[in-house]
Amino acid sequence: MQRSFTIGRFRRRRDHIVRSASRLAATFTAALILGSVATPRVVAQAAKPTEYDVKAAYLINFGKFVHDSEEQESRPSFDICILGRDAFGQSLNALASNETIDHLPVRVLHPDVTEAKSCGIVFISSLEGENIREDLVLLGNADVLTVSDASDFLERGGMIQFLLVQNHVRFAVNLDAVNRAHLVLSSELLRVAFYVTGKPPIGGKP
Amino acid sequence: MRLWASQSISGKLTRMTLLVSGTALLLAYVSFLIYDLYTLRQQLMDSMATEANIVGANSVTALMFDDRQAAESTLSALRNSPQIRAAVILRPDGVEFARYLRDPAMQFELTNHLTLSERRHFWTTGRDILLGSRIQFQGGWVGSVYMLAETGDVARRAGRFGLISAGMLLICFVVALLATSTIRHLVTDPLTDLAHTAQIVTRERDYSVRAKIPPSSDELSFLVRSFNEMLEQIQARDRALEASRAELEQRVEERTAELSLTNKELEAFSYSVAHDLRGPLQHINNIGFLLQNSVSENLNNEGRLLIDRLLEGSKRMSGLIDDLLNLSRASSLPLHRRLIDLSDIAESIAGRHLSEKGIRLVRFMIARGAPVFADEGLMRVVLENLIGNAWKYTSKQDSAVIEFSSTVENDETVYFVRDNGAGFNPRYADRLFRPFQRLHSQSEFAGTGVGLATAYRIITRHGGKIWATGDVGKGATFYFTLPYAGE
Repeated sequence: MQRSFTIGRFRRRRDHIVRSASRLAATFTAALILGSVATPRVVAQAAKPTEYDVKAAYLINFGKFVHDSEEQESRPSFDICILGRDAFGQSLNALASNETIDHLPVRVLHPDVTEAKSCGIVFISSLEGENIREDLVLLGNADVLTVSDASDFLERGGMIQFLLVQNHVRFAVNLDAVNRAHLVLSSELLRVAFYVTGKPPIGGKP
Repeated sequence: MRLWASQSISGKLTRMTLLVSGTALLLAYVSFLIYDLYTLRQQLMDSMATEANIVGANSVTALMFDDRQAAESTLSALRNSPQIRAAVILRPDGVEFARYLRDPAMQFELTNHLTLSERRHFWTTGRDILLGSRIQFQGGWVGSVYMLAETGDVARRAGRFGLISAGMLLICFVVALLATSTIRHLVTDPLTDLAHTAQIVTRERDYSVRAKIPPSSDELSFLVRSFNEMLEQIQARDRALEASRAELEQRVEERTAELSLTNKELEAFSYSVAHDLRGPLQHINNIGFLLQNSVSENLNNEGRLLIDRLLEGSKRMSGLIDDLLNLSRASSLPLHRRLIDLSDIAESIAGRHLSEKGIRLVRFMIARGAPVFADEGLMRVVLENLIGNAWKYTSKQDSAVIEFSSTVENDETVYFVRDNGAGFNPRYADRLFRPFQRLHSQSEFAGTGVGLATAYRIITRHGGKIWATGDVGKGATFYFTLPYAGE
């Protein structure tokens, strides 16, 4: 309970930083969201996407390329959990409501870190700072894909880290971290990663 | 049609085979070409669809994570498909995402777009085919790929295929020719042989020849076998006929030999009979003569008359025996042919008749020069008989004319003795030359009925013919011919 309170405090503090970062989004050329699996209806409401709009779309797309290498009890939904401050605004919720991953509805949750082990993806904002290491330790080797836009996320044991390359949102992958968690990332995804650290598992499973 | 009229069967078969196989091959070539062009085009379209699917599948993440470089590297793999000239990946909003051009200098603008309901569409413009295909991912679509391919390669392949087909056509022609030679061996050669055999059989009547039986066991072999069987039957029948003919000939020969033996025996018998009869007859004659001359004074008139009749009968019998001996000689004596003149003989006979037979007014007309190659003694017998007959049967004429002459009929010299005497009934002309057959009674004209038979025998032995014409009261003419006359 105390942990949950702390996160809430940080979230309020980082609010203005998220807004300044959203200015970058104006430079994005086209509706990247719409490049994702979208319906024609979405095409009609094309608007200038922000950086976090793009990241939201990527976040959902990651879910489509990650699989658990071990048998998992069936889940009622695919949960995308956000720890700390939520910089996405309504865009993530809007996208998630129209999506399914592995035929499961997508939910966006803001749980406590101890409850996040059952999530499909956990996003930790870069504003969490030193808490990121703590969050990762708490998650341990749970089968959760950890994503963040913190600059040293991969060194700290995170799996996917957003980057900004020439005003494009890209991402990097730490395969060692992915392998520790019995997760398998599609080679298709790795192909478009900006860089990949760690080694792929020998024989498919760690 | 003159093409089929002449020529041998083998020529026709060759021509037929080439015509049929050529037509079949040409039709096959054309249909295969059409089919292949269609198939090649279809294959190109199929491979385009496959490549579009692969490019699409490999571009999903690039589209989803806005990685143009990844998309373009995916597209660059199309370099291995030389018929793809250009390819473009569009995002769902229609904005171009990545592009591939085989020839970088090429201008390429998309003019056709998929409608919302289409998943895939082909457009054909000239020699190019444009394919539009949606990129699917997990039930939705993340973009679309367009590919432009040229069919020039299709045309090139068609040309190459045509070249191969022409080569095959040539090979097929050669095979057809070889097949024809086989047919010639199997069909035509046996037929020719059969025809040749049939010709030999018809021309030379040689039934011992046989047609060669072909190695195959088809209708032709059956035909040849039947033909040979027929020849065999004919040959067997021919042989039987020959055998029976030989047997018949032999039998005829045997009969002839028997007959001639019997004939000789008969002649010898009649000769000896005639000869032996002469002795007793001479005896009777002598006694009759003595009776007439020495003891006739002691006899009454009736007795004298009886003696006269006895002498007359004896004289007639003597004549008959002479005639019979003549006939016998005419049959049995060997012929001694030499060149003689019938006119001389006729003249001497006529002279003897005129000097011996007393006062009669008979005019002899004897043509000069009738040379023949014959037996003189026998020919004298013939002429004595004929002229003697003429003399006899003109005895009741006031002015008798006897003519011996010759005429030429159908390149054959015909001699004749003509008189203006009693003649004969032509109905019985065939009886004239039979021995002892007489057309006149003994009281009318005396005779033995052997003379003409003797003449007939002699002329026949010389290889000639003898016949007579005449009518009652109009005289008679006896003709005869002699081969080798005048030689």
